[in-house]
This record gives sequence, C-alpha cells and structure tokens, in this order.
Amino acid sequence: MVLDLTMSMAILALMGALATIAGCLEDLESDVGSQSNPNSQVQLAPQMGFLHRIFNKAISGEPISNGLSAVIGGTVASVLLSAEFYPLTAIVIGAFVAAIILGIFATTSYAGRVASQTRFKQPLYMDIMRYTTPSIIAHNFIMNFCLVAISYIQYEILGYPFTIPFLALIWGISAGAIGSSVGDVHYGGEREFQNREFGCGLNTALSGRIVRKAESGLRNSIDNVWFCAKFGGPATGIALGLTVFFSSWPTTIWGYTWKAIGIGILIVVVFIVLNRFLEINAKNAYGPYKEEKNETEAKA
Amino acid sequence: MVAIDPILLHILLIAISGTLICTAVHFIPVGGAPAAMAQATGIGTGTVELAAGSGLVGLITASYMYANGPAPGIPPSMVMVLAAGAMGSMVMLASTMFAGSLVYAYGVAVPFASAQVKKDPITGERQDLYMSKGTQGHGLPTICFVSGVIGAALGGAGGGLIYYVLMQIYSPYIAASAAAVAGVFTMGVFYVNAVIPSYGVGGTIEGVHDPKFRRVIGKDVITSFFVSLICGVVAVFIAQGMIA
Repeated sequence: MVLDLTMSMAILALMGALATIAGCLEDLESDVGSQSNPNSQVQLAPQMGFLHRIFNKAISGEPISNGLSAVIGGTVASVLLSAEFYPLTAIVIGAFVAAIILGIFATTSYAGRVASQTRFKQPLYMDIMRYTTPSIIAHNFIMNFCLVAISYIQYEILGYPFTIPFLALIWGISAGAIGSSVGDVHYGGEREFQNREFGCGLNTALSGRIVRKAESGLRNSIDNVWFCAKFGGPATGIALGLTVFFSSWPTTIWGYTWKAIGIGILIVVVFIVLNRFLEINAKNAYGPYKEEKNETEAKA
Repeated sequence: MVAIDPILLHILLIAISGTLICTAVHFIPVGGAPAAMAQATGIGTGTVELAAGSGLVGLITASYMYANGPAPGIPPSMVMVLAAGAMGSMVMLASTMFAGSLVYAYGVAVPFASAQVKKDPITGERQDLYMSKGTQGHGLPTICFVSGVIGAALGGAGGGLIYYVLMQIYSPYIAASAAAVAGVFTMGVFYVNAVIPSYGVGGTIEGVHDPKFRRVIGKDVITSFFVSLICGVVAVFIAQGMIA
C-alpha cells in the first residue's frame, strides 16, 4: 500500500504508541510474575531462610517466553485473518489465546519452582496463585494485543516482507530484551532491596535478603507491580516506543537513502550525549564513595 | 583476479556475517543478573537476549530496506542493506541503554562506574571512587555505552548481510516466501553466534575496555567463523530442496 507522508507518520505514531504500551505492560507482567534476573533473588531468599509471598514463575529467559507469547498471538491472529475474521477481532482472540497459554505456564512453573524448594520450607500459597495469575494473564494480553497489532500494521499496511507471526516473534523477543534490561533493574535493584542504603549499589552480602514486608502486611507481587508501574514499566515502554519509532522514522521521512541512515546514526549520537548527562548528574548526586588520594600530599 | 564460485562466495559471506555477530556480542556491555541488582556494570540481562533482541530489530530494518530497492524487483546495494541493519540495531540498543541508565540514575540511585578500568578511556573520569562497597561497579559509563553502540552496529550489519546473501540464494527458487525462509534462517544463525561468545565471556562483559575482551575474542571469532561456515553450507543445501 502506498501512503503519503502524513499517513505514514500517523501510522508510525500509532506504532510508537502501541509499542510504548507493549513495553510497559511487558515489564509489569514480568514484575508481577517475578521473571528474569531479579527472580534469582526470589529463588534464593528461602535458601537464606527468608520465606516470602512473592510469585515465582521465570518460565524461561524473559525475551524467549515473551517471544513465545507474541508468536502464539500472531499465529492465531494470522489463522483467523485467513478465515476472513475482522482484523481487530482476530488480533484480540489471538492475544487472548496467547495470554491464557502464558497463564498455564505461569501456574505450572510457580508450582514447580516452589515444590523444588520444599527442603527450605517455602510454602506454596494458593491465594497468591489465585490472585496473581489473572494479573499476569491480563498484562500479557495487553502486550500481545499491542505487538500483534504492530505486526499486522507492518505486514498489511506497510508491506514488510515478513509474516505477522514472525514479526510478532521478533518484536516479542525485543520487548522481552528491553524489559529485561530496563524495567527489571527497577524491580531487582530497587523494589526487592529497599532495605539497602540509598544511593549505592547492592552489596553482594545482601543477596537473597529481599524485603518481605509491605506498606501493610506481607509483601506480594501485586505490591511489587504497583511500585514498578511508577517508573520501571514506563521507562521500558519509552525504550520500546523509541526503538519502534526511531528505527522507522528516518526512512519514512527521507526514504531509503544514505541520508536516512545518517539521521539514524545522529539519533544514536544524541542518545550517547544524553547518557553522558545522566552519568554526570548521577555522579554529582550520589558519589564519590571514597576520598581521592592525593599522591603528592601523601609523599609530603 | 581469481573468480570465486558464487556458491562458495555465499557460504563465505555467511561465515563472515556470523563472525561479525560473534564479535558484536563482545562489545555489548552485559552484566547479567548482578547488573539487574546494581551489583555489576552493564545492562542487567544476558548476552544472548540482548544481542539477539537488538540484532533482530536490525533484521527488520534490513529486510524492509531490501524490499524497497531503487525499482520494483531490484534490491538496493548490499552496503545499504547492511547499513540499515546496523542503524536499526544501534537505535534499539541505544534507546534501551538510555532507558536503563534512567532507571539506574533515578530508580535505583547509583552513579555509573566501571570495575574494569580506573579511568573511563573516553571521558577520563575516575571510576573506582564511584564504585560502592560490595559491588563490581554499576550503571552504564560512557565507554560501555559507546562500546555497546559499536557492537549493535556490527551485529545489525552481520544480520543484514546474512539476510542479503540468503535472499540472493533463495529468491530464484521461491520468490514469494524467500523472505520468510531467509528471515528464520538469519534468526537461527544469530542465536548460534550469540551463544558462542557467552561461553567465552562467561555470561558478563563490560565492553571493549574489559580485559576479558582481548583474552577471549580471538578464540571466539575463530570458533564462530567455522560454525557459521557450517551454517552457510546448510543454507546452500536446503536451497537444493527448493528446486522443483
């Protein structure tokens, strides 16, 4: 389909918005289900004698389980589209089927993981499973919907050479990689260890000593997702949204030319400069931790 | 000039692109699980996850560039496809690292510090003073960010090159679905070459300035070249099954 510039930009903006929601929900799903790297601490806690009420799924590496979810959604949607379903209906049904399958994986992995910790006396809380699993499914459903919708737009409207399931798989893996790199740091570095001293990294000696008390009562995964939704989730969403937007924006405006590639590189340079500003800001705010030894003074 | 058989050239190009991907993984600063808890420098995820995640975005941009040649049916030049792959991959990794830095700076509250060098080779800033007790550094200092971007460019270009070569092989046989086969095969080669360095670097590396980089890159690159060569042979073999 040949689109004029205004329409192309509108579609790109829609894809960016969908990706932002997908990224945010992907991270929040991994927080409420406790997946990826921070889950190593949830797994470790009972071994250190800290029993907890946090969900513990970690079906596989986050990008892979997320890619699996998205590709199931894409495949079901693709089959329904070929049966001449209305696109929105097909995408919704596809996303729902994928979310239910993830829910099945979540319950079995939670039960399996906790069962393997019997010797550490970690109980399997049925109320946690009942309350948290629907939340995992709901978060995953929205993410699947957004990613399959992006794939649909790319395949049907923009004419990408890959099919909907394959595009959904790639975006699922990318969303998982971003969620694992960005939002999980907020969950693992901050929420799990709010008992550490502010303004420094986590001392290795604190490994496994996760916070188990909530603002009221004992902390569970719903409390964690409430906290991560304030920063980690949106930051992940921004990262995926920027990725989808800026990876297509130069070619949408400047065509398939070297100028577009140059603009893409310029965007990356801007990110490097912004990161440098963040680095200066963080160093001024929290460090240094040690005094700089002045060698000439020491000699004197 | 010695003429190279086109099939041999295709296999060699796939081997080179696999090697590019393997090299790329060494540049990307991944700290694994410790980095997710602000206990180590780099991005808080695994090498395979991040390298594949960024490389696959590069694959999408490269494939779209391939599909939009100067005229219908005529693909753009190979360099153009490689550049598009590199651009997509760099944009993904740069935005991921930037958002990650936002979380490190304002979510976890840590200054960025590398454990492997005393001074950042780019900014010249002291690193050891900002490393908090009981950690191996945290956050993404400028050198890690730049190293990651270079790695993403190499990975994206490698992915774009495999896709370009495979499209050249498969298009004459299965014009309609060549992109699907080439895309899936590229993804496979990507994963193979993202896994090989994981063994070499032991799951974590800070980037080009990490002493581990110089220690393992030689062995990993040679391994990757030969493994990718086998992938190239398989890619050509499966094309034989497409001849009706």
